[in-house]
Amino acid sequence: MDLTFTHRFVKVNGINMHFAEKTPSFTDNGASRPPPVILFLHGFPELWYTWRHQMAALSSLGYRTIAPDLRGYGDTEAPESADAYTSLHVVGDLIGLIDAVVGGDREKVFVVGHDWGAVIAWHLCLLRPDRVKALVNMSVVFEPWNLKRKPISMFKSFYGDDYYICRFQKNGINILQEYGEIEAEFAKVGTERVLLEMLTYRNPGPILLPKGKSYDDPVSLPSWLTEYDVKYYVSKYEKSGFTGPVNYYRNMDRTWEMMGAFSNAQVKVPVKFIIGDQDLTYHIPRTKKYIHDGRFKSHVPLLDEVVVLKGVGHFLHEERPDEISKHIHDYFLTF
Amino acid sequence: MTSEVREKKIKTNGIWLNVAEKGDEGEPLVLLLHGFPETWFSWRHQIDFLSSHGYHVVAPDLRGYADSDSPPTHESYTVSHLVADVIGLLDHYGTAQAFVAGHDWGAIIGWSLCLFRPDRVKGFVSLSVPYSPRDPNLKPSDLFKSFGDGLYITQFQEPGRAEAAFAKHDCLTVMKKFLLTTRSDFWVAPPNTEIIDDLEVPSTLPDWITEEEIQVYADKFQKSGFTGPLNYYRAMDLNWEILAPWQGYKIVIPTKFIAGDKDIGNEGANGTIKYVKGEMFKSIVPNLEVVVIEDGHHFIQQEMSERVSQEILSFFNKLRNITE
Repeated sequence: MDLTFTHRFVKVNGINMHFAEKTPSFTDNGASRPPPVILFLHGFPELWYTWRHQMAALSSLGYRTIAPDLRGYGDTEAPESADAYTSLHVVGDLIGLIDAVVGGDREKVFVVGHDWGAVIAWHLCLLRPDRVKALVNMSVVFEPWNLKRKPISMFKSFYGDDYYICRFQKNGINILQEYGEIEAEFAKVGTERVLLEMLTYRNPGPILLPKGKSYDDPVSLPSWLTEYDVKYYVSKYEKSGFTGPVNYYRNMDRTWEMMGAFSNAQVKVPVKFIIGDQDLTYHIPRTKKYIHDGRFKSHVPLLDEVVVLKGVGHFLHEERPDEISKHIHDYFLTF
Repeated sequence: MTSEVREKKIKTNGIWLNVAEKGDEGEPLVLLLHGFPETWFSWRHQIDFLSSHGYHVVAPDLRGYADSDSPPTHESYTVSHLVADVIGLLDHYGTAQAFVAGHDWGAIIGWSLCLFRPDRVKGFVSLSVPYSPRDPNLKPSDLFKSFGDGLYITQFQEPGRAEAAFAKHDCLTVMKKFLLTTRSDFWVAPPNTEIIDDLEVPSTLPDWITEEEIQVYADKFQKSGFTGPLNYYRAMDLNWEILAPWQGYKIVIPTKFIAGDKDIGNEGANGTIKYVKGEMFKSIVPNLEVVVIEDGHHFIQQEMSERVSQEILSFFNKLRNITE
């Protein structure tokens, strides 16, 4: 499998964004149509790299594949202001990226999202449905905006203060601290260990990070994660750090406040949703019921298909790359 | 024959808005959004006119104004908040799509509504303030710097500054300085002068407003103050940041723009009137009608109430395929 990618940079929405690109190597005989574009949106704590298998597979099937490092991640700029990480900022980046990639015609693109990338994809579909042809979203369902569910207080009451999202909140506003609280803890544990803990997490329960938790137990790599993969992630995270990525969590309440206009809005883009039955998100209380009893579809009326993969965890597109690539191609082929 | 305007409080987007209402609830809904520094009262003529011509008219005191809630910090006054307030009102009335008219800041809210929720707007009339393309490299405060400290928007930025300047005058005088202005420059005060001191009160009232009507405003602002309204200006940079998703966006909803040729910013070759008649505006708002009213100033829906009422009515009626 050809895993060579073109790496490009583009100035969008005031930041310098890095993205990887893989285009069809053959030329379509006589076809004047440009290849359809798929925009891949990674999650936490990942990078464009998480999509390498899909980009290789789908570019060989005729798609132009684009995977940015989202704002704050990897080789993309990380604005200093902790407030610059709401969904509106990130979607602003992506509109700039889409415009730069597909040109002035303002055409629609296919989108694939996972984890935080799925959250961003849902918001992209709410804010700019006119730019998305169809979406394959993974792991994180769309739930309608709810005035009574301000994110952080909701997480706190459901899971307690040790819930990872609650632990991520404190940022470095204390002048005695150079970093936020969790960044300092991550620094003590070490970048590689932090990434390994997250990427190999297979507990169906919520992620709890009590202070003083030990990270001494050996971690074994799953079959789908090689030493090379780990080295790649570590090298990027050691350079750019965790503050950018963690800032997304720190802006969940602000994003919620600013998305109030979508309180009864549906996602009006065609969607295929895929989730592993070992994914912790599938085990969030009431989620299985929500997905299967019709409510998910009532909020995403163009939800064409839900796929639950047996025995598959959170990083489904890395665990079962060929299967996911096929699901993506089979769906986008229908448009 | 004429029923009274009903006022009631409606909970929307986590706050209470005071809303003036008139007309048959079964008729199509028209939402009227006032500007700075006003209240629903600015729409009194249109409320009567439109409600007697087949519309259910709803005109809120916007967030921060008069009898509506006033959250304390400027971060709560972005267009995302203001649009969410409006959507909450439409949801309250069970309106899938509304006719919307906005003046001044109300126009900015209306334009933003066309970005966030185009699915909820049947047609939009903007008074005074057009839609401008977002410059991705120039945020508002940097643009305003070029006008110097005398620009009213710049003077409105620092929390407390304009409030202190306004407080040197009684509220009735403050309201007269705004409502009766005939200035059509961009409102830049001379050095070391606050804009409120630079605005003049004419010796006689024009024929389109009475002392009692101005007192209605004065009484409201006396009670609620000016911080809420000024917070809209203080959120302008934040607005620019969060409107990034609509970079390059074309508003295709049917739109009508109405302004007086002597409105603020219409003086000189590069004024608003030149912009709204130009190609740039048409390219980003392609489904557009432009009406320029001779000798009209800023508070146009009061000053030229009959003309503005007719222009709004004919536009909305046309969208409903109703002809006079």
